[in-house]
Amino acid sequence: MGVIGLQARHDERSERREESSEAAAFERFFRAHYRAVVRLAQSVVGDSQRAQDVAQEVFLAAYRRFPGDYQQAAGWVRVAAVHTALNAVRGERRRGKRELAMQGATPLPSPEETVIDQERRADVRRILGRLPRRSAAVLVMRHGGMSYLEIADALGVKVGNVGTLLRRAESALRKEMDRETHS
Amino acid sequence: MRHIPDGVLRRLEDEPLAVPDRVSDHVASCERCSARRAEIAEDSERAGQLLSTPQLVPDTEIAWRRLRRELEAGEPARGNRGRPRWRGHSRAVRLPSVSLRAGLAIGATAVVIAGTAAAATLTTIFAPTHVAAVSLNQSDLRAIAAFAGLGDGQLAAGHGQGGPGSRQTGPTTNGFQTLRFGTVTWSSSAPRPASSAAQASAEAGFRVLLPARRPRGVGGVQQLMVEPRLKATVSFNSTAGSLAGKSVTIDAGPVVAAEYGATGGTDLPTLAVATMRRPIAHSTGATAQQIEAFLLSRPGLPPQLAEQIRLLGDLSTTLPVPVPAGARASSVKVGGWPGVLLTDSSNAAAAVVWEDGGGLVHAVVGILDSHDVLNVAQQLG
Repeated sequence: MGVIGLQARHDERSERREESSEAAAFERFFRAHYRAVVRLAQSVVGDSQRAQDVAQEVFLAAYRRFPGDYQQAAGWVRVAAVHTALNAVRGERRRGKRELAMQGATPLPSPEETVIDQERRADVRRILGRLPRRSAAVLVMRHGGMSYLEIADALGVKVGNVGTLLRRAESALRKEMDRETHS
Repeated sequence: MRHIPDGVLRRLEDEPLAVPDRVSDHVASCERCSARRAEIAEDSERAGQLLSTPQLVPDTEIAWRRLRRELEAGEPARGNRGRPRWRGHSRAVRLPSVSLRAGLAIGATAVVIAGTAAAATLTTIFAPTHVAAVSLNQSDLRAIAAFAGLGDGQLAAGHGQGGPGSRQTGPTTNGFQTLRFGTVTWSSSAPRPASSAAQASAEAGFRVLLPARRPRGVGGVQQLMVEPRLKATVSFNSTAGSLAGKSVTIDAGPVVAAEYGATGGTDLPTLAVATMRRPIAHSTGATAQQIEAFLLSRPGLPPQLAEQIRLLGDLSTTLPVPVPAGARASSVKVGGWPGVLLTDSSNAAAAVVWEDGGGLVHAVVGILDSHDVLNVAQQLG
């Protein structure tokens, strides 16, 4: 094998090493943040399996978006989880009757889910789908454990405004919930 | 000082240290702001309750495997521009220390040993009515192999297929294996595929149930096999002391096993459901005391394993379920019948084994979390 051939093999091996190292970094990133992302998504979609589907989609997107550098991605995946989950519940609203048909095909409910919990989660999901997107997002982010600073970064607002947004969103949630209860 | 804006009062609930002290002082002394704060706190608490979710502990291991499959397949098609194809290192699926086949072999060995003991307990019959967990680590397996006079490889390689005296004559497999204390001979027929649960039921002689609803990610049935009855006879030689010249015959099966693939067109098995008649053993006259004493006095039998055998109590009604090292065992009820749930330490794989009131032993094994495996089991229980 000539010098060029050896160089080509060396380059190929280096490339594989880099890819393998990147793959390991992505796996570490995934394992570190997967549960937090699922929890955020579940607070919106209300169903653990769908939350895991959302998380899957989010991490696939993160892999494409942050090649090799996942430092920035930790906050991004959380925000993406909230928006992707909100998209999912808004899609449900649009689908209307189709959603009802799909409920029959929903896989096994987890044993800990009670009927009351399911009804409550369905109400909350509907309301989150109706609220302005920013209000829904700030609710999910805050009650999913994100700090005011993280929420401000995620929504592109000043940190001093997060409290105001959150207050309005919680007030709107209460009113909508009361309306659901009395309707 | 002017009254405090709602947004600041809200933040006071969550991040009080981020709010100036004068705000807290004002709220403490202002009836109006204090009342608004209470209302805001109430709304906040209610929102927290509404948005709370069960303490979900998603299985990261399974999720990672699922994501890796998509990455390896070059998924997703949309928007994958400029990104190298995934070349992550492949990690083997982590089952509880042993493969399914090795687990079955270990299980069969345990049944033989327990059956041998139990046959003596009742002199003529072993008819288990429930299952119980018995922990086994690698040294236990080696000890069992040494105890029986088998090599390590023979214990883990499967059963009914090999051994020095194995031969297949047409559809029948007969064989024998020399043990340290005698011989074991067996006869069985070759496993046959079945095209449906109804056909499997007809061939097995009992009703075969398959789950109507599968957990997400589990595909259709890849293969449905009927393993015919296995008859094995252990004959004790002169080295077995008081058991010399006696024998125990174990009748096991048939077994119907359904193996499921994964959704998305991959061949990775994700779930297996097996049903078998409980094993029955007959003895030519060895007594309970003779066989129990023989088993427990064998040199090299780990003391903790001997203790577990003693703790099983009435072996004639107990089917031991081997628990590999690293797996957790817990008691569950399936359809009202007691069972043993085995869970991998990472909850990436689980198995549940139980015996129903009709004398059938069921096993559900999955590269799934324990909830999914139990949900499948409950459909069959």
